[in-house]
Amino acid sequence: MDATLFLKIGGFLNHAGLILSIVLLLPLLVLVFPKPMAGPGKRLSALIDKLTGVVSGIAIFAAIFLVTIQLIVVIASYALGLSFTWMSELVVYAFASMFMLGAAVALRNSAHVRVDIFRPRFGEDGRNWIELVGIYLFLFPIMIRILQTGEQGLARSWQLFEGSRESDGLPILYVFKTLVPVFAVLMITQGLSEALKAALRLTGQLPPAEVSEAPEAAHGA
Amino acid sequence: MELELVLAVGMFLTAIVALLGGFPVALTLGGVALLFALIGIALGAFPEPLLSTLPSRIQGGSIMQNETLIAVPLFIMMGVILERSKVAEDLLHIASRLLSKVRGGLGYAVVLVGALLAASTGIVGATVITMTLIALPTMLKQKYDPRLASGTIAASGTLGQIIPPSIVLILLADAVSNAASQAASRMGSGVSFVVSVGDLFAGALIPGILLVCLYLAYIAFNAIFRPEACPAAVEDDTEPLTTKEVVFGLGAPLALIIAVLGSILFGIATPTEAASIGAAGGILLAGLRLSDAHEKLKNTLIIAALLSIIAIILLRQIFDLRVAVDTIALANGIGIALTLIASAIFLIGVYAGGFVLQAKEQLMPALKSAVEITAMVFLILIGASLFSLVFRGFGGDDLVHELLSATPGGKWGALIIAMLVMFVLGFFLDFIEIVFVVVPLVTPPLIVAGFDPVWLAILMALNLQTSFLTPPFGFALFYLRGAAPADLKTLDIWKGALPFIGLQILMIALVAAMPFLATWLPSLTR
Repeated sequence: MDATLFLKIGGFLNHAGLILSIVLLLPLLVLVFPKPMAGPGKRLSALIDKLTGVVSGIAIFAAIFLVTIQLIVVIASYALGLSFTWMSELVVYAFASMFMLGAAVALRNSAHVRVDIFRPRFGEDGRNWIELVGIYLFLFPIMIRILQTGEQGLARSWQLFEGSRESDGLPILYVFKTLVPVFAVLMITQGLSEALKAALRLTGQLPPAEVSEAPEAAHGA
Repeated sequence: MELELVLAVGMFLTAIVALLGGFPVALTLGGVALLFALIGIALGAFPEPLLSTLPSRIQGGSIMQNETLIAVPLFIMMGVILERSKVAEDLLHIASRLLSKVRGGLGYAVVLVGALLAASTGIVGATVITMTLIALPTMLKQKYDPRLASGTIAASGTLGQIIPPSIVLILLADAVSNAASQAASRMGSGVSFVVSVGDLFAGALIPGILLVCLYLAYIAFNAIFRPEACPAAVEDDTEPLTTKEVVFGLGAPLALIIAVLGSILFGIATPTEAASIGAAGGILLAGLRLSDAHEKLKNTLIIAALLSIIAIILLRQIFDLRVAVDTIALANGIGIALTLIASAIFLIGVYAGGFVLQAKEQLMPALKSAVEITAMVFLILIGASLFSLVFRGFGGDDLVHELLSATPGGKWGALIIAMLVMFVLGFFLDFIEIVFVVVPLVTPPLIVAGFDPVWLAILMALNLQTSFLTPPFGFALFYLRGAAPADLKTLDIWKGALPFIGLQILMIALVAAMPFLATWLPSLTR
């Protein structure tokens, strides 16, 4: 297998990402020109939400896979005295996929913990502004930084088709490492959708979000 | 030097203010840290290469390849599936029927069910809400003092954090063991600490059980001296329980708890292994509970799966099942074949249970919420590790170390300050954030000062559990308020929590004064 092709694809994705990052300004355009931008904004946001839903299916599959493989590992080692590095690595892969691919859908469904003390008092507009500012000030920079700083290491990993350090491990560590940029891109994309929704709500193009009185039951899990 | 510390302190304060804005905590922590790191780089006060280690940190042994934390999603799955199988409802139903005829009976029932749910589902919010919805109306109808009723429910709900297997104890074990190895490297050669998840589970067991006893004793005290606060049921208008209901509703979760917790505490299985068995057991029990009587095939498969677990354990006792030996005797070969068949039946049964859940439209919602809760926890871990990275880059950890060692009152003064800070932070931060952000900062100096890591971890867990119960910001009280009828006064909820906070403080003092309460069991299993 030749790595140059993959590195070319990686380089292409990099440039495509740079060009597409202009779209990240769309929520701001919605704020400034609500009427003409509302249509594309809504369509893009709905499309992203749907895409994230598809990815969340993979995360759910990873969860099922995690339980299954871990059970097989337990039975094999407990009853038959067998242990395989590749199997334990599959467990780790499933485990990491579950949250790296699930983070975006958790963002869509507002499952990430927030501090709820003052939140109800900010009002609908206040909450939407915080959402917008948070996405531009925190979410995008973190994820872009992860993409930037990870690029070199990832390219090296693909160049070598880096595998497990163990001889009976999985030979696809480079795929595992690719979960990091995939996670960052998914988060940026879903962040864009959330920013669009906040901007559309601020300009009255979308009905206000329903606010739950009780804090998320996930607290203190 | 000065500038770096100013930035470190500024970053911490900015983070706290920004968190109050209500944007997701994980992203706020990471985002504030990143902004300050960029300012630091611009001012020449932050080493830029440090920031580029972030991706390798995420994919490395502390997050994506963290084998300790694999138990977290598995225990979350066990919890959400049991929650969907109405285990809480069944338990409350049975316990309150059995106990409602004694004074304080419903109170005992809530505490005991809270303890059982803590050991099975372990999700505080869900436990408090379920018990508020089911037990609170019954208690109020039976003329319980609303303060006693709501206090009992909130306090029993928070038991999920301290009674193992608890997700927060797993996270705490990870954080404290990192802190302990840092402390060991500070203290020089020859010192090493091992803190495993099993240690914390074992260490939390006695304090957890004692806490349950304290709660029960408080209700007994009320039953004797304030009988009007917790009267017995006057008339029994409900049909008596059948033996089957009791055996299944009470026995099944108990068996699961004993199997999971027992195998960890006796060192038979690692927490991750036990968690996967727990998740499978949860699916089997939920499948059995929710399946219709006419689904004979699925029911048979599920029961066969439960029996095959016993079969595998027995086969292992009788035969030498190791496959890796050079020659396998015929008898052992038969044993291995039987084991493989039993394993296959077990897995098929688990899937059958999954299909039953899916037919009832419970499986996908459960898995979805498991994925989201897991993602929530680990995104906080990612954000918090960025935060810690930057804070350390500014030398913030040295600052904390100096502050704690300069506290009047020596190491006990430092401990009390650290505990108070965590207690106050517990008002508006979740256990997870505190474990990932504050514990790594304050724990190494305390361990260097000579405190036992396991004992420290248990004290922290008790401390944060108390914080969850303390008005006006305690999370458990928020859940209770959200699910309670509107005519229950918020002030009554707050006042009802006070005696239980007293019990919590008593428990913390007991563990502080008698460290063996937390350290004796772990020392046995080691």
